[in-house]
Amino acid sequence: MIAGHFGFAAIVKSRETKVPLWSLMLATVWLDIVFIPLFVMKLETLQPVPGLSGGYGENIIHADYTHSLLGALAVSAVFALFFVPRWGKRCALVLGFVSFSHWLLDLVMHRHDMPLLPGNLGHFPRLGFGLWQFRTASALTELVLVLLGAWLYWRAASAVTTEAHRGRTRAIVTAALLVICGLTVLGLDVTATAG
Amino acid sequence: MQFILAIILFVGVVGAVDAGVPWPRCKTKETKP
Repeated sequence: MIAGHFGFAAIVKSRETKVPLWSLMLATVWLDIVFIPLFVMKLETLQPVPGLSGGYGENIIHADYTHSLLGALAVSAVFALFFVPRWGKRCALVLGFVSFSHWLLDLVMHRHDMPLLPGNLGHFPRLGFGLWQFRTASALTELVLVLLGAWLYWRAASAVTTEAHRGRTRAIVTAALLVICGLTVLGLDVTATAG
Repeated sequence: MQFILAIILFVGVVGAVDAGVPWPRCKTKETKP
């Protein structure tokens, strides 16, 4: 899931209007951004599901540090703490929550590959409801998040720009971009043959 | 690859356009007089 996370961030923006959209967009994929260097160092890996090509939803993701429950909470807390002195506790808390929402959404999608503790300490059962086993349902879930996010963003932005008597064009373009970028990213993700 | 593109699009492009919308702002650090 990539596009769906951004859709969720747009939904949060419509409720928590003070938090800048770019920071919500960054927060929603923060776990995956931290995953990149660990992936390069081969500390976290992707492995195609046996018999499948490794395309959309067809990977077992061994992200045992960034996508473990405790790891995700820690990475999200660090992200939130960075913003406390800059934007205050309330906005930082929202950003921390959005960062952790990544784990919650991944929990729905992943194929039983998310550990509770970093490095799968204790070898507890791995989590993941496995919606990725159903490609159409997974893609539709992401589509709904993207469209709902764009619509709710537009509704909130429309109210703000009407009151301020400015910024309406920016709001229209942003809402349109949320749909266009969301559909583009989702399309690329779903049609990818690997990765 | 699509992940990097997505970050550029959503954080960079969408975020930059949204910055022109007159949203209320988070508390910013005040400088002492």
